[in-house]
Amino acid sequence: MRVFFATDIHGSEVCWRKFLNAGTFHKADVLIMGGDMTGKAMVPIVATGAGWEVTIQEQGHVLSSEDEARAMEKRIRDRGYYPVRLGRDELDAWAADPGLVDARFRSEMLASVERWMALADERLAGTGIRCIVSPANDDMFEIDPIIDRAERVELGEANTIELDGFTLVSTGWANPTPWNTYRELPEPELRERIDGLVARVSDPRRSIFNFHAPPYGSNLDSAPRLDAEMKYVAGGQALVPVGSRAVRESILAYLPALSLHGHIHEGKGAVRIGSTLAVNPGSSYEDGVLQAAIVDLDTKKGSVKRYLLING
Amino acid sequence: MTSGTTPSLFLRNATGLVKGWSGFDAFIYSFMSVNLVTLGMFYSFLTFGWVPDGSPIAAIVISAIAVTFLAITYAGLIAVMPRAGGDYVWQSRVLDGIPGAVSGAVVFGIGAFLVGQALALGDAVDLGAGAVGVVGGALLGLRRGGIGFVLAATGWWFILALWAPIYGAILTVEFVQPVTALAGLEGVSSFFGTPDGVFAVSLIVIALVTALVALGMAGYARVQRASLYVGLAVLAVVFVLMLVSSQADFQRAFDREASSLFGVTNAYQSTIDTTAAFYGAPFAGLDPFGFGPGTLALVPFMFFWILYPNWGATLYGEVRGAGDFRKVLNGMLGGIWVTAVLAVVFVLLAAKTFGWEFFQATNANFGDTFYGVADAPAPVIPVWGYPPLLASFLVDSRVVQIVIVVLFGAWFLGWAGTLFLSSTRMIFAAAFDRILPEAAARVSDRGVPIVALLLIMVPSVVLSWFYAYNADFVGLTLDATLVIAVTFLGSAVAATILPWWKKELYANSPVARYSIGGLPLISLAGGITTVILAWVLVEWLTNGLYGIGVGNTQSIIFLGILYGAAAVLYVVARLYRRAQGIDLEAIHAEIPAE
Repeated sequence: MRVFFATDIHGSEVCWRKFLNAGTFHKADVLIMGGDMTGKAMVPIVATGAGWEVTIQEQGHVLSSEDEARAMEKRIRDRGYYPVRLGRDELDAWAADPGLVDARFRSEMLASVERWMALADERLAGTGIRCIVSPANDDMFEIDPIIDRAERVELGEANTIELDGFTLVSTGWANPTPWNTYRELPEPELRERIDGLVARVSDPRRSIFNFHAPPYGSNLDSAPRLDAEMKYVAGGQALVPVGSRAVRESILAYLPALSLHGHIHEGKGAVRIGSTLAVNPGSSYEDGVLQAAIVDLDTKKGSVKRYLLING
Repeated sequence: MTSGTTPSLFLRNATGLVKGWSGFDAFIYSFMSVNLVTLGMFYSFLTFGWVPDGSPIAAIVISAIAVTFLAITYAGLIAVMPRAGGDYVWQSRVLDGIPGAVSGAVVFGIGAFLVGQALALGDAVDLGAGAVGVVGGALLGLRRGGIGFVLAATGWWFILALWAPIYGAILTVEFVQPVTALAGLEGVSSFFGTPDGVFAVSLIVIALVTALVALGMAGYARVQRASLYVGLAVLAVVFVLMLVSSQADFQRAFDREASSLFGVTNAYQSTIDTTAAFYGAPFAGLDPFGFGPGTLALVPFMFFWILYPNWGATLYGEVRGAGDFRKVLNGMLGGIWVTAVLAVVFVLLAAKTFGWEFFQATNANFGDTFYGVADAPAPVIPVWGYPPLLASFLVDSRVVQIVIVVLFGAWFLGWAGTLFLSSTRMIFAAAFDRILPEAAARVSDRGVPIVALLLIMVPSVVLSWFYAYNADFVGLTLDATLVIAVTFLGSAVAATILPWWKKELYANSPVARYSIGGLPLISLAGGITTVILAWVLVEWLTNGLYGIGVGNTQSIIFLGILYGAAAVLYVVARLYRRAQGIDLEAIHAEIPAE
């Protein structure tokens, strides 16, 4: 069985499209999206009467036709941002009222997940490729039922899913971050949540953990240290472990065949923790590059046969 | 949300969104990499005397201008592929297909031809070897990631093993020998000039940089910042000493200390006379505004020092726009130009206070022996005329002299720690790409990359042994820069073709807004850097002045072994992984979006 695992695409349209095509391209049986699939930013495209103005990556653009506006919207989406068309008055209102921004953010995230699930249903139909999506700490809870409703996509979060003799156990909850995001738990509670999920598995050694947070001190969790003002220390060169101790301890306790992680975009790598292969493919979603792990599992032995980290 | 009256971006609370980072931090890293004291004073400024018709200040300025284009190139690549991890991934992503094949053919065609020549196999065999190199290199380059691996493994891993004894030599001549000599331990100081002493210091350096990797960059960054402040403060003290002292003051001080420490009388004039006798004429004085015919010949020597503003250049986190590009670039440009200005000030002060004739003579006197120049006269004093040591003589106090030289050790401490860090990162990347065994990326419970450290420590010890006990091996010093320059050349080529070869990647990057005369800035800078590096490489390989080119069989074979080993490692990995059912070609194969 071949598993294709990617994570942390943060709204990048092109990465999602690549993800859906990866099963065919890499002959994978199962696609797993490890979460943090919603974007972090909205880019206003401001109507001027004669067209639109937009600033992306600190560069201003004037768009004079609908075709140009659509091309810009695609560029913004591919980068993982949400393009929003606004009038000047609306923009001023947004600047004054964070509530308006939040409301629009929510609707954009939900709409994009709806669109992505529809695309998944369309592209995966008739392929026989299974697709599991598990939201993570940066994803609002309201996207779970949207994923659950998709015909060709299975919701990973808090579910155990049988995969050809293996059991996929997923949670996108993470240990606390400085950003206080949607799905965060103190370490003891995270461990409880994991234990509760694994309790449903008959043979934990034939399981695949799909836990967004990487294990603490595994090098899959090395992130630039931040100071009290949320600025990088030493220009980002000072890396520190920020993963979850609960995840590490649960891997050592249950020794699953494979443990899939994300969360730390800089933490690309593969390590053995006990007999478990733990991987974090990292993320370069802003470049439109889909970083992923391809893992071949031996369904008879219940072990990992081979793996490869790719930049697709 | 962006500030100001017209927001252009609305952000929500999400992991990884930070308020930015300090450009000063980037400057520190760059400034300590382009290290005026460790690399500049010993390895580059010592060579001024070997090109007596060259103009040092002009050579420094030309080199800084040349490396400015390198900085623009790297800042551009970082902005286009921020979290990619450097040369290996940039080259692997961009140099595929025809560009990869051409790059591979050039590297291995030239390399195989030169190795054939070095082995004196005959013209026909040399040409045959070159042809095989062209074909083999092209085939390797056609494979996605092939040439990227070879250039990155040689430049960021293999050759850093040679840097270990070079670091050891710097620690010896700039710290161990002057401090022990000042402390009156002449026997100890002399020991560190022997092969056993050189090897011992290399081992100390290897242990030190290994410990610093184990400490981690989070801890080392604090050491580096403190080193910068201490280093700059003591440099300022030395500059002031040199400024307020006359040449006569220095001559008296030098003669006094040479007599007191080493029992050498009239050492100042003896140094000038000894070198003048060997060279046939005394060195000329400094012409600050001169542009002598040998000036360009000094530039490849200057590159040994000033080529590294991009060392460790990686950008973490989200790139929001051109501001990030400018911040990275400014950090590197600060590293280059602050260092260049300090270098020019130093040269002017050295000429004023030490006397340029003496300064050139003392450097040549020590350097000729250090590099094993045939029939070179013994150094008048048994330690190198390390400029901070010379300046410290201006204070007639042993304690103050020792304090000055010891504090100058901050320039070494703030610089040495990243030596193995770069190698371990490269080794990790190769392990994640399955070229090296999985164990190469293993870390201890405390996060120490044990196997990766061994993979760089062991060859470092071996090359340190050669460096200490094989006199000819010291002559390969410039190879340490040559191999890194080849790696940089690969990235410069990648940057040059990027806007056309990887259009979408480039178009979506913040550097796409920058162009000059219709040409993308990254291509322009990359193209100029390509030409500059190609010229420097040709000089190193063909001009006997540098001692590592076609006239040095050992050097060419050493280089051939490095590149050959990287290629063999890559080919074996591909075949082995293929037997395991793993296609390494898939690593960089782009998945179609539609």
